[in-house]
Amino acid sequence: MFIGQDITRVDALDKVLGKAAFAHDLTKNNMLFACVVRSSRPHAVLKRIDVSAARALEGVVKIISHEDIPGENLFGAIKKDQPFLAAGRVRYKGEAILIVVAATEETARRASELVRIEYEDLENISDPFLSIQSPVLIHDGGNLLSHRKVIKGDAAKAFESSDVIVENTYSTTWIDHAYMETEAGLGYLDDRGRMVVASSTQNIHYKMKEISRLLAIPPEEVRVIQATTGGGFGGKLDVTVEGYLALAVWHTKRPVFMRYTREESLLAQTKRHPLYIVYKTGARKDGSLTAVEVNIVGDTGPYNSYGETVCLRAAVHATGPYEVPNVLVNSRMFYTNNPVAGAMRGFGVPQLALAHESQLDEIAGLIGMDPLDIRMKNALKRGSLTATSQVLNHSAGLLETLKAIEPAWRERRKERPGSGFGLGCMYYGIGNTGISNPSSCYLTLTPEGRVEMHSGVCDIGQGSDTVLLQILCDALGMEEMGIDLVRGDTDTSYDAGSTSASRQTYISGMAVCDAAQKLKKYLKEQGYYDGKPLKDICRDAADKGVPIFEGYFDPPTTAPDPETSQGAPYATYAFATHMTEVDVDEVTGVCKAVKVHAAHDVGRAINVSNVKGQIYGGVAMGIGLALMEEFIPGKSESFDNYYLPTSMDMPEVEAMIVEDREPTGPFGAKGVGEPALIPQAAAVVNAIYDATGIRMRQLPCDIERLKLALEKDKENKR
Amino acid sequence: MKTIRFLLNGKEASIEVEDNETLLCALRERLGITSVKEGCGIGECGTCTVLVDDEPHYSCLTLASKANGRDIKTVEYLSSSGVLHPLQEAFIRSGAVQCGYCTPAMLLSAYSLLLRNANPDAHDIKEAISGNLCRCTGYIQIEEAIKNAAEICKCNGQD
Repeated sequence: MFIGQDITRVDALDKVLGKAAFAHDLTKNNMLFACVVRSSRPHAVLKRIDVSAARALEGVVKIISHEDIPGENLFGAIKKDQPFLAAGRVRYKGEAILIVVAATEETARRASELVRIEYEDLENISDPFLSIQSPVLIHDGGNLLSHRKVIKGDAAKAFESSDVIVENTYSTTWIDHAYMETEAGLGYLDDRGRMVVASSTQNIHYKMKEISRLLAIPPEEVRVIQATTGGGFGGKLDVTVEGYLALAVWHTKRPVFMRYTREESLLAQTKRHPLYIVYKTGARKDGSLTAVEVNIVGDTGPYNSYGETVCLRAAVHATGPYEVPNVLVNSRMFYTNNPVAGAMRGFGVPQLALAHESQLDEIAGLIGMDPLDIRMKNALKRGSLTATSQVLNHSAGLLETLKAIEPAWRERRKERPGSGFGLGCMYYGIGNTGISNPSSCYLTLTPEGRVEMHSGVCDIGQGSDTVLLQILCDALGMEEMGIDLVRGDTDTSYDAGSTSASRQTYISGMAVCDAAQKLKKYLKEQGYYDGKPLKDICRDAADKGVPIFEGYFDPPTTAPDPETSQGAPYATYAFATHMTEVDVDEVTGVCKAVKVHAAHDVGRAINVSNVKGQIYGGVAMGIGLALMEEFIPGKSESFDNYYLPTSMDMPEVEAMIVEDREPTGPFGAKGVGEPALIPQAAAVVNAIYDATGIRMRQLPCDIERLKLALEKDKENKR
Repeated sequence: MKTIRFLLNGKEASIEVEDNETLLCALRERLGITSVKEGCGIGECGTCTVLVDDEPHYSCLTLASKANGRDIKTVEYLSSSGVLHPLQEAFIRSGAVQCGYCTPAMLLSAYSLLLRNANPDAHDIKEAISGNLCRCTGYIQIEEAIKNAAEICKCNGQD
């Protein structure tokens, strides 16, 4: 048995030895270095670009503009609306304009500073509410990227008969992924002249297709390899260095390396979407929710990236993990000239959790109900209808996570002044929202008597390589880990889809199970389970030319109704409850998270240590979101003024695993990557309220914001 | 350019460096020690940590010329005897490694701590790695690993 065991991660040894080759470490003989010239203006027409001084610098090999692009100058995972290199107009500060390729990195950077660009400024649409009204269009189709609605029952009528109604506005800001390894990669032509790009990425097959379109060559002529990747969290889903490298290699025919500086990563790469949320909740005296009405306005910056995804996912998760009979959600995502907001751990759901969890606590306060009890009363469970009227037939363990937290909650004691406790719950649909998002893989037998797993899944540190091997071993009934992993290379794997939406354990895990079933049938026929050594079977197979064993899984979902979003957008949901204890220093405004209990229904923990690692890491990111992280365009330039949680900021965390098995998942597993983060900020703000009586509705509750709120509160009381 | 000589993981090393060259650059570019990572370049993230005379230093802020005559250790030192150091074993066993980009630096900060303090408590451990950012783990399994390794080192009488 490998499932449920703490199997050592397959990548850990190389990493503790310092041998793992990250994208930053890649090198090739005769390689050149590239860097990008970026816009210093948020919205402008490019009047004139003078590259003469840059070109004259010794060591500069090539300067590439949009005119040098052989194929299509647009990319985007959802909609192709973002240019690789600006063509006549820039729409955000940091947008790529030129690529400079030089003999050394220093020369490339020096040359990029010598490029003179004349801009004619256009109106800077710095706010989604400005975007709504502005006659200036960021794209020809208008400034509204997406509008999604969730309509269930009759919310307006239900509010009329509600005993208590609470309505408030919440807002969140840009968050940087801040993976420790910035974007980087190496491009080169292989012996056959094919384009190869190795990079720090979350999705090799998607990037292969984008490069193919960019260069107007067939996808088979492009090979993308995932280097060891120093974190992703959604930020390496979009094309980062890959397109620039492909162009630089295309024009120079030489290997080219590039990496973003930290400042560049902060300036140019995607961020978490800031959302403005107006939230109205109705309930009866007994605590049962009657209706919610939510208006969400989001800022996606000038390009879609994952803006549509966030718009829809935020909408369908807006009620939180509760039975709400009447729902009206309007979710709108606008283009602005702010940083491009894209995918980040949770896709809009952590922002909504702040709102629905604060609302629920306020309702509980008004009717004199305990925050845990009101959650238990309304919790989604087996047989419940979600906000999109999806029936939860199985694996809905929210109540179990609440029960896991219950003893700690009931026994909580405020032992110091400024101490407070808060709860946060969440549910999260595993996989993409209401669209096909399959994974595929294949298995082969080697002449050495090993099974080879060919996986296109990008392990970005979360541990999917190890988990998929565990699944395969158990699916084959192997007693030893007799499997070789061939991974992260479009030449040797099928498309497994992106490492995003907490989908790899569930979806790719099922693809592995599918392939394993076919191999198992074959091994059975060959007598493996009667004792014939695998080595003999493999040797026979090599002689006979045995086919490969392919696996495929696409989670069963239905497309959301275009008007009401009703339907079954996800095949399964993860559930969680966090309880956070904080200490607020009312003199300084410093809030410290002291202790967290985090209970997660993961279906089945394939690797307990990995699951806990995700929970701890998610809590850390949630603490950052709640208390300190805020990307301010033009001000947050480096880690000097973008603050991340350190070891000293971390609370004690008790991770509790609940396993309500998912029958459609691999050995009952669902996912945990994003769920681990989602309810934490909500639990923190509820704890701050418990400690101070102050409702913080804007994140982060950093020292300045909290101090101001405390002072204002003191004045009001005076 | 000037020549500097120093101990690198217990062995004599001699390289030519520019006056303004950082130790990070010298180790990575001239000596090929890519276990030393660049995360921010301005001494905020700690992924470039190396030991200078057994004390953790940000190599991105350290001039290479300052290494002259000093004892420089990178993560390779920990397994230079051919076996994993208890810290490395514990990092693997405790799930302290996720993406791994901060790992070599974390190991060095932890190693330096255990040299100074064979019985670190939870606070000592937190403080010792407070200059090393990690975005994946939330630090908890790293702290567990360091605690476990400290116990094992004590039993082995190992540094």
